[in-house]
Amino acid sequence: MVQYNFKKITVVPNGKDFIDIILSRTQRQTPTVVHKGYAISRLRSFYMRKVKYTQTNFHEKLSTIIDEFPRLGDIHPFYGDLLHVLYNKDHYKLALGQINTARNLIGKIAKDYVKLLKYGDSLYRCKCLKVAALGRMCTVLKRIGPSLAYLEQVRQHMARLPSIDPNTRTILICGYPNVGKSSFINKITRADVDVQPYAFTTKSLFVGHTDYKYLRYQVIDTPGILDRPFEDRNIIEMCSITALAHLRAAILFFLDISGSCGYTIAQQAALFQSIKSLFLNKPLIVVCNKTDLQPLDGLSEDDMKLVNEMKADALKTAIGQGGEGTDADVLLTMSALTEEGVIAVKNAACERLLNQRVEIKMKSKKINDCLNRFHVAVPKPRDQKERPVCIPPAVLEAKAKQAAAEEKRKTEKDLEEENGGAGVYSMNLRKHYILADDEWKEDILPEILDGHNVYDFIDPDILQRVEELEREEGLRQAEDEEDDFEMDGTELTPEQQEALIKIRRKKSVLINQHRIKKSTAESRPIVPRKFDKDRQFTTERMGRELSSRGLDPSLAINRMRSRSASRTGRKRERSPEGRDDGMDIDDDTPSKKQRLSRSRSRSRSVSRPPHEVVPGEGLRDSAQKIKAIKLAKKSVKKRNKNAKRGEADRVIPTLKPKHLYTGKRPKGKTDRR
Amino acid sequence: MPQGDYIERSIKENGRRLDYEERKRKKAAREVHKHSQKAQKTLGIKGKIIAKKNYAEKAQMKRTLAMHEESTSRRKADDNVQEGAVPAYLLDRENTARAKILSNTIKQKRKEKAGKWDVPLPKVRPVAEDEMFKVVRTGKRKTKQWKRMVTKATFVGPGFTRKPPKYERFIRPTGLRFTKAHVTHPELKCTFNLEIIGVKKNPNGPMYTSLGVITKGSIIEVNVSELGLVTPAGKVVWGKYAQVTNNPENDGCINAVLLV
Repeated sequence: MVQYNFKKITVVPNGKDFIDIILSRTQRQTPTVVHKGYAISRLRSFYMRKVKYTQTNFHEKLSTIIDEFPRLGDIHPFYGDLLHVLYNKDHYKLALGQINTARNLIGKIAKDYVKLLKYGDSLYRCKCLKVAALGRMCTVLKRIGPSLAYLEQVRQHMARLPSIDPNTRTILICGYPNVGKSSFINKITRADVDVQPYAFTTKSLFVGHTDYKYLRYQVIDTPGILDRPFEDRNIIEMCSITALAHLRAAILFFLDISGSCGYTIAQQAALFQSIKSLFLNKPLIVVCNKTDLQPLDGLSEDDMKLVNEMKADALKTAIGQGGEGTDADVLLTMSALTEEGVIAVKNAACERLLNQRVEIKMKSKKINDCLNRFHVAVPKPRDQKERPVCIPPAVLEAKAKQAAAEEKRKTEKDLEEENGGAGVYSMNLRKHYILADDEWKEDILPEILDGHNVYDFIDPDILQRVEELEREEGLRQAEDEEDDFEMDGTELTPEQQEALIKIRRKKSVLINQHRIKKSTAESRPIVPRKFDKDRQFTTERMGRELSSRGLDPSLAINRMRSRSASRTGRKRERSPEGRDDGMDIDDDTPSKKQRLSRSRSRSRSVSRPPHEVVPGEGLRDSAQKIKAIKLAKKSVKKRNKNAKRGEADRVIPTLKPKHLYTGKRPKGKTDRR
Repeated sequence: MPQGDYIERSIKENGRRLDYEERKRKKAAREVHKHSQKAQKTLGIKGKIIAKKNYAEKAQMKRTLAMHEESTSRRKADDNVQEGAVPAYLLDRENTARAKILSNTIKQKRKEKAGKWDVPLPKVRPVAEDEMFKVVRTGKRKTKQWKRMVTKATFVGPGFTRKPPKYERFIRPTGLRFTKAHVTHPELKCTFNLEIIGVKKNPNGPMYTSLGVITKGSIIEVNVSELGLVTPAGKVVWGKYAQVTNNPENDGCINAVLLV
C-alpha cells in the first residue's frame, strides 16, 4: 500500500510506443528463423511461442500499470479526496478499468489463437494465424490509447504532489486570498512559496517543515478560500477544503485586519462562520496579520465584535480539549512583513498541537504498552536528613577565577568584531604560533618547489635523521674503503686503484639503474629502443664515449645527423650542449625541458620508510597506509604501461596502424583483426 | 507554480542558458539530417519499419500536394451528352420499345433458374479434398484409413451431437467450430458480430455444405435481428444471407459481407 509516495509509479507509455515496445521485444527475444521443411510440431510450437510471449508481455506491463496506480479506497482519505478533486475519481477508475479489460481481452485472444494454432498444418497457415493474433492484440491496445495518455498525465502530476504525511504533526494555514499565509510560511520554514499581490497566487498545497522542542512539524499552506456555497467551489479551493477536512492538524485562521487584501473583516468573519464545522476537534488559533498597517486596537467597533466572536469560537474549541482558557492562546497578532509576533504564533500553534496529541495518546489504548516500559527509579530516602550538594570551597574559588579569566581574556573573534566584523578585518591566525624562533611566525611557506610538493619532503625530525644517515654512510664507506685495497692480498698501483674505483663506480651505477628498471617494470611502458624515451642514446653521448677512447667523433656525428629524423621535419629538442664533461661520463645532466618531460620514477632519496604514518596525513596505521599506497599504484599501473601521461590522456599515437589496414581479409572485418 | 515543479521553477529563477535558443534551433535543423542518416544506416527489421513509415509520409505528402494543386489548375469543361442523343449515322433507325416491363421478381426467378447469383465473390479458388480433409489412421495397427478430420472452419448447429465415435467418418474438431461471424453491411459500411444460423451453400460441393464446412465464398445465413430490418409488409427480418470473404482457418475468424 502506497502511503504518500507517488513518485515510484513507472512511466505509462502511449498506445503506439507500447505496441512498438512489445512487438520489437517479441521479435528480438524469440527465435526468428523457421523453414517450410521443419516438422509440423516444430512449426506450430515456434508460432505458438510468439503468440504466448507477446501475450505474457502485454499482461505483465498492463498489470504493473494497474498495480502501481494507487487505489483510491486504499490510501489515506486525505489523498483519496485530493486525487478525486484533482483528477475526478470516476474518470480515473474508468481508465484503470479499461486497462484491466484490455488485459483480459488480450489473454482471451491469445488463448483462442493458440488453440487454433494446434490445427495448423502448413507454415503459411500458422504464420497467418500468428499475424492475426498479434494484430488483434495490438488493436485492443490501440483502442485504450486515450486512457493510457490520461493515466500518464495523472502520473506526472501525482509524482509532483507535495509529500504530506497525514499522520504526523501538522499545522494548517487557511484564510482568504492575499491575507499573508504564504509570507508566514516563508518566514518560519524554508519553503519558497511565491508571494504576489494578486489573489490566488498559491494554487496548490505547499509544504514546509519547522522545528519546535526538538520535534519536526509540517506546515501546510493552502490556497485562499472564498466565501461561496460548497457546490460552487473550484478545484483550487477544493484542495484547501480537503486538507481542512481530513488532516488532524492545528489550524491557523488568518485574518487581514487592515483590509489590504481587498476583503473586509466582515467577509472574512463570514467565511470563518461557514467553515467552522471543519474546525471541530482541532486546535484553532485566529491570527490577525498585517498589524503594521493597522494595529488590532485601532479597529472599529463592529470589526472588534466580529473578531471577538471568532475568538469565542476558538476558545470553545480550546476549552473542549484541554481546559486552557487564556485569551492569548487563541487570538494572536503578528506582522509577516516586520516579523513581529511570527515566532510567537508558531510557538503557540506548536504547543497547542503537541498538548492535544499527547492527550490523545494518553487516552488511547496503545499508551499502556509504552507506559509499562517506562520506569523512573527514585531512590527511597532512608531517613529524613537533608543531604545537599557538597563542593569544596577551593574548587568553587577556582571556578570563579577561571570564569573571570575567561571573561577578561580577549579572543580573536572579539578583536575581529571590534575592528569592523568578518569582511573588514582579517584575523591574524599566526599570532599565537609556537615556533623555535619567533621571527618565523610571519614567514610564507611555499607549496610547490621545482615541480614537487614541498609537504612531501617536510619532516619535523629531518635534522635528526640526516645525522643518523650520515653516520651510517660514514661507517659503510669506511668499511668499503677498507675492503677496497685488500683485493688479492697485494697492493695496487695508484693507476690501478683509480681504474678500480672507476670500474666499481660504473658497476654500481649500472646495478642501480638495473634495479630501478626492475622495480618500476610493472608500471613502465615498454618502449622499443628506437624511440629512446629517456634520451640516452644521443650524439653527445656517443661523441663523449669516442673521445674518451681517443677517437675523433666528428665524422660519426655528422653521419648520424644526416640520417636523423630532423630531415623529415620533426621538431627535435636540443641535446644538452656546451658541457665540460671530461669528468662526468655517466652523469647526464639534461636541460630543464628534458628533465621536466621525463618521468621520474625513483629520483628522490627516501628519508622515511614508506609504511610510516605521518600524523596529519589522515591514515590510521601503517597497514592502512600500505594498502592505500598499493591501491594508488594499482590504479596508475595500466596507464603507465600504455605510456599515458595521466588520466585525461586519450591520445591515440597512430590513427591508422599499418597492421590493421594492410593485407587481405580472409576472415573478419577490418575493425577487428 | 506547484511546489513540485522544480524544472519550471529553476527556469523561472535562473533563466535559460545564454545560447539556449541557438542550440534549440540548430538541434531542430540537425534532426532532418540525423533522421536521414538513421534511415540509411539501420539494418534489419528496424530499417524496414523506418522505410515503411517514411513511405507512408511521402505518400501522404504527395496526396496533400496534389490536393492543393487541384484548385489552381484549369480543365476543359465537357458538354454533357443529352439523353437519347444518337450519332449521325444512326439517325434514320427506329427505336424498338419493349412492350412489357419485366418486374423485379420475375428477373430474380429467372436468375435463380439459371443458377446465377449476384454475389460479391462470384468465383473462388476450388479446394481439393486432400486440402479439406486429413486422413486419420485408426485401428489397433493404425492401418484403417477411413476416417477423415476436417481442417477448415466448420459450423455445427446448437443441437448437434456427434455420432458414436466408432462410426463417425468425418471428425469436426471443436477448436475449428465457429458460431459467430463478422458481417459487414455493404451500404452502411459497418461490421457487426452476428450469430451464424447455418451454412447455405459451399461452392466446393454439396458434401461440404452438408458437413457445414465454411470456406472462402460459402454462403451462410446469419441472425440479423440486432440490425432491426423490417420487410415492406411489416414483418421483422431476422435471418439473412452473407458471403464469406476471407479464409477462416488462416485468420481465426469469419468475415462476411451481407447480401442485401
